[in-house]
Amino acid sequence: MKTRRAIRSCAAGLLGLTLASAALAGEGVFGFVYTLDLQPKGKFEFEQRVDTTHGQAVGSYNLTMLRSELEYGLTNDLQIAGYLNAVRVESNNNYLSPETCTTIPCTAGFGVPSSRNTQDPYNRKRIDGASAEIVWRITNPVTSPVGVGLYFEPTYGQLEDELEYRLLLQSNFLDDRLIFVLNPLVEQEKEKYAGDGQIIRNTMLDLLYGASYRFADNWSAGIEGRWHHDSDGYFYNTHTQTANFIGPSVHYAAKDFWTTLTWRRQISGRCYADGTADCSLGKVWDNHGRNQYVLKVGIPLN
Amino acid sequence: MNWKPALLPVAIAAFAPVGAHAKVYLSVEQAQQVMFGNAPMSLSPVVLTGDQQDQLHAASSVSLKFDGHRVWKVAGGGWFVVDEVVGKHETITYAVGIDAAGKVKDIEILEYLESYGYEVADASWRKQFVGKGADAPLKLGRDIENIGGATLSSKHITDGVKRVLTLYDLVLKHVA
Repeated sequence: MKTRRAIRSCAAGLLGLTLASAALAGEGVFGFVYTLDLQPKGKFEFEQRVDTTHGQAVGSYNLTMLRSELEYGLTNDLQIAGYLNAVRVESNNNYLSPETCTTIPCTAGFGVPSSRNTQDPYNRKRIDGASAEIVWRITNPVTSPVGVGLYFEPTYGQLEDELEYRLLLQSNFLDDRLIFVLNPLVEQEKEKYAGDGQIIRNTMLDLLYGASYRFADNWSAGIEGRWHHDSDGYFYNTHTQTANFIGPSVHYAAKDFWTTLTWRRQISGRCYADGTADCSLGKVWDNHGRNQYVLKVGIPLN
Repeated sequence: MNWKPALLPVAIAAFAPVGAHAKVYLSVEQAQQVMFGNAPMSLSPVVLTGDQQDQLHAASSVSLKFDGHRVWKVAGGGWFVVDEVVGKHETITYAVGIDAAGKVKDIEILEYLESYGYEVADASWRKQFVGKGADAPLKLGRDIENIGGATLSSKHITDGVKRVLTLYDLVLKHVA
């Protein structure tokens, strides 16, 4: 036990040291949609993100993901970043699906091992892993009608490993105060939390979209949404989920920091094939909820 | 894993001031002195019609309405105009001096409150505008060089100078 505690202390300290030496991340006017605003060459930014999914079919479910990020501008159009990820899962009698529960309701959902699909609450928090990121801005929306960029993010985690690819599309209007953004996204996922060495392979295909308007100095407000699809296998083998989410964002930015708060709500969801275990009441659960909140803070470091 | 105590001091450190860059470079009076020395000048506000505002927008793409209350006529010919354009987070205040021939005598950044892009105030970048008239393209990447990492500020200031020169061509040069 002492050894485990020592390892935990060392890991926490390592995280602290890493953050202390880190800088800040690119300014995001949205919570989930990525824009083509990158760090200038040689500039660092630190970003802290808190992402909470709240509420499933019944009972209680909270999935909180914390990401501490350091971004750096390799050139004015090429940005790299590293993340440390922590996660907290709190789940209690939140599922209604007979495919999942032997007795309804039961405790289940993303992050809950299959062996725990009982009526007992499940709570766990831990440092989950790390991610890297590279973004290449091919055209700048400030000077081109459509800004185009490519984004790649590999993640290693205890819950799952991921490879995420995004196409970033952005158009600006009204002196760049009004922006429209699209992010077609593909993510290959290897879920590892089920227990007994079971691996679940998924492919996610999403379309993230958003519009934001700077209505006053320092302040922007917008709306963003997500059209989500999940499939079994790494190459869309079998379609299992579709869901729609939408909600507002508010963003404040000044010279020394910026912050963004976003809420999005699941408005509909359907499951297919093997995915039906994760659906009930016209919504998709799994790692989704009725509501999702993101708070991001960024601080330029040099 | 109980990592919160480790995060707390880090968060505090992270929020510590790391370089307040916001700058007020010059007051209006200082910019007038820099551009025109002790030449007398008189405040000459202009009120633009909707059609004239539209022409400024068409020529420059600046969508904010031009505020004509900060226009000075310089004795012996010339104009001094203070204007604002959109910056990354706040407005950028700048001044344009126009000589008796209607060409840019100088531009000065008066107030810049952004995280990055302070190179727009460098004399080496501003001197690109000197001698430009209303007939000049004034397009970033064409006759005005972009500052990498400060594209938004560079573009908006360039568009703003174009707007002021268009104002001269439409209105100021006809003022007796």
